[in-house]
Amino acid sequence: MLPDLGHAAIVAGLALSVYATVAFVIAARRRDSAMLASARRAVYVSCGLAALAAAAMVVLLLTHDFSVLYVARNNATTTPPFFSVISLWAALEGSILFWTLLLTGWASLVIWRNRHRHAVLLPWAGATLAAISTFFFAVMTWPGNPFTRVTPVATEGPGPNALLQNHPFMALHPPLLYLGYTGLAVPFAFGVAALITRRTDEEWLGIVRRWTLIPWIFLTLGITAGAWWSYAVLGWGGYWGWDPVENAALLPWLTATAFIHSSMVAERRGSLRIWTSALVIATFTLTLLGTFLTRSGVIESVHSFTESAIGPWFLAAIAISLTGSLGLLVWRLPDLVGSERPAAAVSRESAFLFNNVLFLGITFGVLFGTLYPLAVQAVSGDTVSVGAPWFNLVNAPLFLLLLFLMGVGPALPWGAASWGSIRDRLGLPVIAGVVGVVIALAAGMRGPAPLATIGFALFVVTILGDELIRGTRSRARSRGEAPPLAAWRLATRNRRRYGGYLVHAGICVMAVAIAISATQGQDATATLRPGQTMQVGGYTLTYQRLVQGPLPDDPQVMETRAEVAFSGRQSGRLATALRNYPSSTTPIATPSVQTSLGEDLYVTLQSYDPATSTVTLHVLVNPLVVWIWIGGAVVGIGAVFAIWPDRRRVAVAVRAPASDAPEGTRVRRPEPMPEAAATAVRVEEA
Amino acid sequence: MAELMVRRFAFPIALGALLALGGLVAVILLRPGGAPTQAELAHQIAADLRCPDCQGLSVADSSSASASEIRRQIDSQLTAGRSADQVKQSFVDRYGEWILLSPVAPIAWLVPIGVLLAAIVILALWIGRARGPERPAAVPAVSEMDRARAREEAEALDA
Amino acid sequence: MRALRWLLVPIVVVPVVLLLLHGFSRDPAAIPSALIGKPMPSFSLVTLDGRTVTAVKLRGRPVVLNFWASWCPSCVDEHAALLDAAQRYGTSVLIVGVLYQDTPDGARSFEARYGEPSWPTLLDPNGSLAIDFGVSGPPESYVIDANGIVRYKQFGPLTEQVIADQVGRMLGSATAGRGD
Repeated sequence: MLPDLGHAAIVAGLALSVYATVAFVIAARRRDSAMLASARRAVYVSCGLAALAAAAMVVLLLTHDFSVLYVARNNATTTPPFFSVISLWAALEGSILFWTLLLTGWASLVIWRNRHRHAVLLPWAGATLAAISTFFFAVMTWPGNPFTRVTPVATEGPGPNALLQNHPFMALHPPLLYLGYTGLAVPFAFGVAALITRRTDEEWLGIVRRWTLIPWIFLTLGITAGAWWSYAVLGWGGYWGWDPVENAALLPWLTATAFIHSSMVAERRGSLRIWTSALVIATFTLTLLGTFLTRSGVIESVHSFTESAIGPWFLAAIAISLTGSLGLLVWRLPDLVGSERPAAAVSRESAFLFNNVLFLGITFGVLFGTLYPLAVQAVSGDTVSVGAPWFNLVNAPLFLLLLFLMGVGPALPWGAASWGSIRDRLGLPVIAGVVGVVIALAAGMRGPAPLATIGFALFVVTILGDELIRGTRSRARSRGEAPPLAAWRLATRNRRRYGGYLVHAGICVMAVAIAISATQGQDATATLRPGQTMQVGGYTLTYQRLVQGPLPDDPQVMETRAEVAFSGRQSGRLATALRNYPSSTTPIATPSVQTSLGEDLYVTLQSYDPATSTVTLHVLVNPLVVWIWIGGAVVGIGAVFAIWPDRRRVAVAVRAPASDAPEGTRVRRPEPMPEAAATAVRVEEA
Repeated sequence: MAELMVRRFAFPIALGALLALGGLVAVILLRPGGAPTQAELAHQIAADLRCPDCQGLSVADSSSASASEIRRQIDSQLTAGRSADQVKQSFVDRYGEWILLSPVAPIAWLVPIGVLLAAIVILALWIGRARGPERPAAVPAVSEMDRARAREEAEALDA
Repeated sequence: MRALRWLLVPIVVVPVVLLLLHGFSRDPAAIPSALIGKPMPSFSLVTLDGRTVTAVKLRGRPVVLNFWASWCPSCVDEHAALLDAAQRYGTSVLIVGVLYQDTPDGARSFEARYGEPSWPTLLDPNGSLAIDFGVSGPPESYVIDANGIVRYKQFGPLTEQVIADQVGRMLGSATAGRGD
């Protein structure tokens, strides 16, 4: 009953998405507001249907209904309810269902919020979003049906993939990531709409920027959570391996970040419209490409969902989407070429432009490295690998330059900069950077990359702090406010700027933490009998005993635990284990991570001999790892601060343009402020 | 006011500090330090080899049995006096180029570097063109201090 | 002239799609062997029964060298194909199993369960033979001709068809003339 209901919901969702696509197009061409309202409702209902199907699947998982193939493959009667629920996205078909739910959710949200605005753009954006939803509903109707039945019905299942049920972050990483991915369809849809309707002016830019920033936050947090999760789970002590699927998540993040920066230039100058349109298109195309790489089995990776029939469907989607959007861009090229006055050579604008070049350089590098083995194999038949050494060598200099630009950008004014102002702002930050490098050298650090990272990070943080202090002082002086209040008011009156500064500060923290944890760690491997000790990086570990038994909340899983006492900068007892899951032929390592602000003590049980209770332990001391996660949180907070709507809004003169708004709708445009005003307050477009 | 004086002097000090740092780094790098120890060399080789039964991990990072055996073979080959390149080649002879985590072909490096350089050059040219007519009109003689301070206050209030 | 800009679309789309399409035709985990056409690595290993086998002893007949493990699911099907091949070809082909990252007890219980093999199973406790052959995971098999030259690598489980093809080639060329 329930599987049929779920499947029916999906088929109905497909029908409604097709209808919505057509209705939006008709509404756009005929300016038919009744059709438009009908199309909107179809989107809302399709979201409800996706939710219904997802709920059905969750119930099937919770009740261990093995007549459904997806449940039979990814669930067991002993699977705890928490992991049953999150198995919705544990494997291929369920993850597509979850994806569709989020996609229709975003579509409904953006359409609902803008139902009285953007009358020209919204129908075409809606049509694009409905078309994308159609594709995903179609994939679930035909090649990737999550509600496929299986006979005979088994009485027991293997449970979710072992790696996906030994850490609660499984609940966090995919949803955050998918919210980011699916959310990026929205700016794409508006970008397409702007190209179709030739409305590539500031209206388009405002809405696209806001609806890029929100998914960007989710994508950033999702990637960070993914790194944290793989660090805690996989047992090799690292958090980023340049695995193809990691790269697939990074690529749209890079172009979205480039877009966020170039849109600021576009907003100021009205220039770069081709470039920003191209970035929006690239971001979504890379999202599709990433989804394809994860699910098609074309490239081997940690993450590979099993190869399946949906690969060719995704390839077709990439081909159609890329052809369509690129074709649109080429078609409207004459509109987009504007009076492109180049930036002054030394200005914030040119810093942003170099920022974009660097981001796109990294994007190209990562994409090239990910696809290179495939290309070589296609051309010459040889099999080659592209791994961490190559990616680190190609990308590290670019990331370092970006770090440097993060400091230079805020220090430069928008127009042509005079040497005096730059000189006055850069002196102290450069000294701070040099001092940092000297201290690091004195502490024994020798690698050029971590040293440069420390120098640049201190440079950037000093500039940002300087900006805050100068602004606060100015405001305190001119308005008589106490400094803390002045600082708060300054920041909340300039959310975009200071939120951006906080984001950059968070990035600096992450950069230093990454540079140091990747290069200054220590590790050792030892085989120990009970009672023996080993020493690594200031810690003494004493192996005590081996304990074997089932997990308390999942008795199908047999765990072999090595209990270890440790002392040093942290002290206590830990247990590191190997677990045998019914679904896996090899035991899964469950490392133990003892976190402190200064370093992580990371212990993996590599092997054991039950007869003698001898164990082989791999112990790593990773400095500053927790600061990567803290930095990620700061980035998220800064971004949220930046887009938080201002409670005070300046009244804007409303002017409905004569011709193209349909009857009964109003188009609101920001009135340009008179130049004489010393204070400029931005009205945020929704 | 005092603050502006500090800033004015900070820059030459910063330049001096940068130069001093450059000298320090050069001295440290050029010091006749030892060649890497065998352990460091072994780790470097292991970091460049792919663990055969892992998903993209290097031999240095992996704890699998084959990675342990490869590390042992690296050590024994180095002890026997072979060079790093010879050691790596012995694995390439058995596994093919796949075992190297960085591709050997020059094109793998030339393409990304080339694309990046081309992009930077194009951008620099684009920024550099049509400079002439942008010269600002004659500015009244305002003292540097006042101008800097005025700019500072305006920027602080700038959204 | 302006219409030329439309070329941008196929220039970008076609190579990307062709490249990804090509990816469907291959298993990315299947790594071709670097040993094809080269002599088999020399070794001296002990079997499950305690006998010693060296590479030299294997000369004179085509050899199917099969890396397997008791924890590897597809090795079960492969075992059936090997049992069939042993019966079919008798002494004209030598089958040699090599245990990959496994224990002798594990191997013995696998053989007891799925069929006692008539061929020896070599113990490779360090995995050094696996590395010498460039093995990335079980099951992998190598077909070696009578002169000790590696001729074919099977990535994944052997099937009766593959064995028939490869061994048939070996035996066919052996009767056609010596000194390949």
